[in-house]
Amino acid sequence: MGMKISVRQICFILIMYTAVSKFIVYPTVLSHYSGRDLLFSALADFAVQAVIVWAVSFLCSRTDKTFFALLEGTFGNITARIIFGLFALFFIVCAVIPLFEQKVYVHAIFYDALPALSVFLPFFGFAVYAAAKGFQNIGRCADICLPIFIVSMLFIFAMSISEIKWDNFLPVLKTPAKNVLGASVLTAFRFFEPCWLLMFMGHFKYKKGDAAKITLSYAGGALIVLLFLAAFYGMYGDMAVTRQFAVSKISLFFPAIDLIGRIDLIALYVLEIVMLFAMIINVQLCVYCISKCTGYKNKTVISIALNAALIIMLILLDNKLSALITIWSKWMWIAFVLFANVIPLLAWTLRRREKK
Amino acid sequence: MKAKLKRWTPFLYILIIIAMLALFFTNDFGLLDIHKTSLIVAVGIDTDGEEVQVTAQVAVPQPSQSGDSINYVEVQGSGLTVADALNEINVKTGTYPRLLFCKLILLGEACQNEELFRMLGCFYRRNYSELTALVAMCKGKAQDMLALPANIAPENSTAIQKVLSEELKKSANVSTANLKSVAETNYSVNGACYMPFVEANVQGTSQNGGNGDNVGGESGGQEGQGGGQQGGSGGEQGGQGGGSGQGESGGQSSGQQGGQSAGQSSKQEGRQMEFTARKTAVFSDGKFAGILDEQQSFALNILKNEIRLAVVPCDADGIHYTVGLKSTSSKEKLKIVDGVPELTLSFSAQAQIQGARIVLEPESVMSDDTVREGILKATEDEIRSRLESLVTTCVETDCDVIGVKGLLHKFNYKYYEAFKDDILSRMKVNYDIKIVSLN
Amino acid sequence: MVTLEKNIKSVKDVLTSQDIIVFKFDSLNGRKFAVIYADGLADKQLLGELVVKPLKDAEKDAELGTVKKLLASPEIKDGTKISDAIKEISDGNAALFVDGEKDFIIIGLKNPPGRTVAEPPTQVVVKGPREGFTEDIKTNLGLVRKRLKSENLKVKMLKAGKKSETAVALVYIDGVCPDGLPERVEKQIEKNEIDIIPDSSYVAHFISKKPRSLFKRNGTSEKPDIFCAKICEGRVGLIVDGSPISLTVPYMITEDLQSGEDYYSLTYRATIVRILRVLSLLVGIFLPALYVSAQLFKIQIIPFQLLLKISSSVSGLPLSPSVEMFLTLFILEVLIEASIRMPNYVGLAMSVVGALVLGDTAVKAGIISTPAIIIVAFSAICLYTTPDLVETTTALRWIYLIVAGSIGPFGVVLLTAFILCYLVTEQSYGIPLMAPFAPLIKNDLYDSMVKANMYTLKNRPKVFKTKDRVRLKTQSGE
Repeated sequence: MGMKISVRQICFILIMYTAVSKFIVYPTVLSHYSGRDLLFSALADFAVQAVIVWAVSFLCSRTDKTFFALLEGTFGNITARIIFGLFALFFIVCAVIPLFEQKVYVHAIFYDALPALSVFLPFFGFAVYAAAKGFQNIGRCADICLPIFIVSMLFIFAMSISEIKWDNFLPVLKTPAKNVLGASVLTAFRFFEPCWLLMFMGHFKYKKGDAAKITLSYAGGALIVLLFLAAFYGMYGDMAVTRQFAVSKISLFFPAIDLIGRIDLIALYVLEIVMLFAMIINVQLCVYCISKCTGYKNKTVISIALNAALIIMLILLDNKLSALITIWSKWMWIAFVLFANVIPLLAWTLRRREKK
Repeated sequence: MKAKLKRWTPFLYILIIIAMLALFFTNDFGLLDIHKTSLIVAVGIDTDGEEVQVTAQVAVPQPSQSGDSINYVEVQGSGLTVADALNEINVKTGTYPRLLFCKLILLGEACQNEELFRMLGCFYRRNYSELTALVAMCKGKAQDMLALPANIAPENSTAIQKVLSEELKKSANVSTANLKSVAETNYSVNGACYMPFVEANVQGTSQNGGNGDNVGGESGGQEGQGGGQQGGSGGEQGGQGGGSGQGESGGQSSGQQGGQSAGQSSKQEGRQMEFTARKTAVFSDGKFAGILDEQQSFALNILKNEIRLAVVPCDADGIHYTVGLKSTSSKEKLKIVDGVPELTLSFSAQAQIQGARIVLEPESVMSDDTVREGILKATEDEIRSRLESLVTTCVETDCDVIGVKGLLHKFNYKYYEAFKDDILSRMKVNYDIKIVSLN
Repeated sequence: MVTLEKNIKSVKDVLTSQDIIVFKFDSLNGRKFAVIYADGLADKQLLGELVVKPLKDAEKDAELGTVKKLLASPEIKDGTKISDAIKEISDGNAALFVDGEKDFIIIGLKNPPGRTVAEPPTQVVVKGPREGFTEDIKTNLGLVRKRLKSENLKVKMLKAGKKSETAVALVYIDGVCPDGLPERVEKQIEKNEIDIIPDSSYVAHFISKKPRSLFKRNGTSEKPDIFCAKICEGRVGLIVDGSPISLTVPYMITEDLQSGEDYYSLTYRATIVRILRVLSLLVGIFLPALYVSAQLFKIQIIPFQLLLKISSSVSGLPLSPSVEMFLTLFILEVLIEASIRMPNYVGLAMSVVGALVLGDTAVKAGIISTPAIIIVAFSAICLYTTPDLVETTTALRWIYLIVAGSIGPFGVVLLTAFILCYLVTEQSYGIPLMAPFAPLIKNDLYDSMVKANMYTLKNRPKVFKTKDRVRLKTQSGE
């Protein structure tokens, strides 16, 4: 399976997947921690990530090598494999919360009654198939998802715009800074996009100006999230903390819904396709890392094993989403800062060493 | 390994196909079968202080080729909480415990004595129902109200929803509220919320006594009187009616009885009822604070809603006019001047005469298109008096439905701590009302 | 000296059938000739006029070279081996044997019975050419040549089928078609040995790298104008003897969402119609599935007033919504199949039985609800807006229905994601099936869901990486 991806596809990934992965529980959690100043908490996280995205994409302009090759060139094959093993673990960690969130979200918006856990299990069939594919597949899926994303988001935003009350954000910045920045730290585990870029490194042909394109795309994704957060909080105000599955809530008050039914659900179902691809990317990268780490080429087998592990985790920790979020926000943020922020920045030193 | 996987693939496919077909034909994968589902379209909540009685109006589809045969039945349940009562209804109807199609939640008059969110709380929990469901309080028991025969729709929940419509909201006649707006305003710094107050009258009987329903302890006597009038008119057969004011508990309970008996007797006689919701029930910190009369409700609506066309009666030069107001805009502004909070309520509109209680020549009807200064002044005075009445009631009941505390919090945050507890009593109110002729 | 009888015997020993005719005649000077041909395949009238008459009238004794000169037939070639003669006779040509000569002459007289050029039933147009391919490869090649007079038009004749030896014409334009593509297609055909090729669909199977896939890997057309247009874009075309359906590779799914008529009508109209086709396709596939999953799992999707009507209609039905839809769809498929296969004279009775007995009575008897019939009927109509994809889409409709009835709307979404994930990496001769959407090729989008005007489509599709990219040159200043 092809491992080539284009800059355009990376840009699409950063715009869409960054956005959709933060539409379910993130707005509610952020409203809880920083209230009407939630935009600033999100902005702080996005600003840091954007800098790292720029740093990694700029690094791509300086070398044609993959991240693995850079590590191998600097530390040797064994160390490179170990680091990729750690990244594989990190990508599993990245995949856990979105997976659990998806499960409860799917149960809530696809079913009127409370369905069995098993309705979510077919997802893993898709995951096994998709995770065994290479970067070419990731890129092309992003290509095909873009029109789906644009249409469904426009639909959802258009249905929500009339209900947004902008004065819900007043007074601005009166929430204690500790809470606002604390929220940024506590939700840091939802930001891992620079790692994606690190893995794509060397698999795309860098042209002049691509670093700016990639960073702007990430900023575009961030802007969509900020607009979404604004729409959500603007609509619900102080009630936002009680509204789970934000994306399914913001178009509820569209006047025509009374007449024509929950057509917003159709848009949400369409958007779910993008969400599934966004969720699967961590699993795909995890398979890639395991393959690199072990040298085992049959990705299908790795994918089956990995998804089996995820299924077991899902069954054992069913209904433990809140506990998982608490653990991830209180403890795991360190891992996220290390792998998604520090290591991508340290990658610059690899290149310098390589030069010497 | 790959070859082994390939060899197993056909078996895997067969297994998947068999599993899918089994699931397809057995149909049990967390489903909510339309055959087995009762569609609850409205819920009425009453309480006797201890227990909560919930009445659900259920749509029961009847077999029909054209698909237009629906029966509506009322099912009751009771319990210590609304959720308990709903659970009892679910047991009786086979409904999955979510009110997906419930478009109306009607609180009986007795709910005035209870904490509002004891009644409504469960609707907000775990996506129990959509927050778009309309909320209203009704005169008498909600159970009776839902059982009354309606004149403008096949079932009365639809008839009630019609009088709570968005269109009426745009004419400042009804303070339409839904689950979201109630919680949103109640949990904001204002700590107050409102909802329309629904009354039922026998078809063809005019409603009156509205002005007598004023809120406040001082006017308790008047309320009883006014309420009595209404009770009498609302249910001619009901005998003694009662007010809904806080001042007189006797008036309240008799009003309840009056409404209830009016409903029952009209049902017995099979006479159709018409519903109105021109009054507004207001709540402060989740507790019932009173009922705004039609004029106060109008004032609240022009401040809170986007009005397309409102109609105001006024007297000028001894003649009664009905003035239509278009292109309205309203604004509440709070400033702290010399340590005193100053609330400015602004309202502007373009006026057009819609009717006059005199016989006019056709020429003068045409010339009336330009509204005379006197009529404009009289309209301004009328609106001012309505706003004053609303503000007075808010101050007296300490119920901030206007949202003054919100203005303080949002636009004058540094004074928030100083004024948050008593701003309503300390504020000075200015009225800036500008009515101009449409032509 | 080889006698005429010996040659005839050699042929007749192999072709023993009685429809292999041996016609013997003498010229004026007494020289003996024999023509051997397959009855019904060779044109007897031409044989008489172009071969027998000139030879009979010949007064001078002549050797084989002179005999050839006497023949008025334009298609003549020499033959030396009896096996060649047998092949040609089987193919419909005639073998002329001259007494005393070891070698023989093959005369092209092939004229198998067939249809005349007519409007193809599967690709009817209101505006545009109405000619359609027939079962005769020569006629079909003629129709192509009529439209493409370029010297760069290359036709390579291949044989497929061990027993049938069916002629397959590989058609492409040299200089436009990517290098190596014709060879790859040829190799793919030659790789497969089968007894008989009754139709081009067999060849379609062979040239597909993934014949088990639900999604086809080649374009099909019954119209020479569409075939030629596709070849001019850089594709390779295949015309199979005995089949009116021509094939083209590489293939992209968007091809089947387009119709020949799109290019002959106003661009705006073409764009609207293309969008309509895509929407119809989606509705046709998803509507029964969504209806079932909405009834079983998420009734909120249905508007309340409609829900009341549906509830009322399905109330009292003995079948669950999924089984009801399954049954209705099953009846529809049976009716379609039967109406195609059934003789015309029972067709009317069939319609009455289908529409009245099965439809109306089933509703009246309370076995099937009216909404189910409406949905299935509408879905069927929608799918036929893209007839070239109908085999795939009907299968997909079944799959989606079963998934919707068992897993619900999430299953529908998941399956869609799976299909998209599968399709984006699938290729037809190196060209992605989902191009120009995945990978996104901006320039090619102008002739995909939308149909831009001719001046925007100056270049051939970028995805084919053709050598000569320019399709339209305009004079400057115009």
